[in-house]
Amino acid sequence: MSLMWDTLSLLVLGCHVRVQCQDAESRALLVANYGHMQGSRGPATLQYTVARQARGGGFLVSRAGREPLSASDPGMLLFLFEKDMTVEIEKLRPDLYFVHAAVLTLEHAAVMLVGESGSGKSTTTWALLHHGCRYFSDELGPLDLQTGEVYPYPHALCLKDVPPGSYPLPKNTLYTARTLHIPTAALPSTVGEDPAPLAAIFFLQYRPEAAAPVIEPLSKAEAAARLFANALNPLAHVGDGLDGAMKVSARVASLKLFSADLMATCALVRTTLKRLFSNEETKRCLQEQWPHP
Amino acid sequence: MNEPSDHPKRRVDVNVRMVDGEVVVLDRQSDLIHQLNHTASYIWDRCDGQSTVAEIANQLAAAFHVDADTALQDVATTIGQLQSLGLLESLRNLPEGP
Repeated sequence: MSLMWDTLSLLVLGCHVRVQCQDAESRALLVANYGHMQGSRGPATLQYTVARQARGGGFLVSRAGREPLSASDPGMLLFLFEKDMTVEIEKLRPDLYFVHAAVLTLEHAAVMLVGESGSGKSTTTWALLHHGCRYFSDELGPLDLQTGEVYPYPHALCLKDVPPGSYPLPKNTLYTARTLHIPTAALPSTVGEDPAPLAAIFFLQYRPEAAAPVIEPLSKAEAAARLFANALNPLAHVGDGLDGAMKVSARVASLKLFSADLMATCALVRTTLKRLFSNEETKRCLQEQWPHP
Repeated sequence: MNEPSDHPKRRVDVNVRMVDGEVVVLDRQSDLIHQLNHTASYIWDRCDGQSTVAEIANQLAAAFHVDADTALQDVATTIGQLQSLGLLESLRNLPEGP
């Protein structure tokens, strides 16, 4: 059997990632998921090989310095690759404060949606992209604590379930046994290319039984604690990452969002953000440089 | 020997920050982060190993304009919670009584 190795070059948060794909299917999966990050030309900082397993039809994800990861199906391949790559990127970029969050922008200001897995970050993001928001990520909020800016991590938007009828999925959605991936080219919005100043954080909780969505203010201390709990690399930062969370909560509007009907949730988020962005203090904070620690 | 709650003492090996009168405590030992409300933060601040529960309750009553019984109950409950969260020094680390 002859093997054709096709290299995929990704630029992820300034890191050059090379993925050698043994077959067309794994390459197509990765392109669908990371197509927007293609285009790295520098020397590789991170190298992977993705190959089919000899038996069972699964995949093997290999990276120098660790045992190959075995993925039984395409959904697992994307999950394992994403997990390994983001952990490695976090190590390569310890200057950034990584938050498990969805990120979008409105009026050039970044907004994070933070919540546990299953809280509806991606679904809410998918819906908000139909209402004038721009896509940054549905999973990772890499934050520069020096500038207060969030960087885009625009992999394909990943849903666990088909969203409600008001927000149908595009035809080229990639369906796996576990997840649905919407390539960035199929999103109803543009995709962020440059970092944007963080203006607000919504801590998300899905309440399907609620008649209407609700937004409540959050104290700075509670916001800091919740943000810290969702930080992915806090120990890379001063004060075990607590100072970073305190700094963010002191400068960024933090709100609790109890989401309900998706369209009503989007309308409430938009109204809240419009009001927030017209606030003079918010405008000043967005223009100011963040103080150094 | 003192009971743990006689002279409650906050642990010194935790990361503590305060903002707007509320304390955030990061306990690396248990990998937990806690956010204390205003009252709990006030009580936490006075858990210095010197003040008794009664003294903390008296201070709380004066500061928050509540009656002595309510204050004492609040302090006892909060200290019990802090203790169950492992944020106070254990019995063996407390000063011996006279």
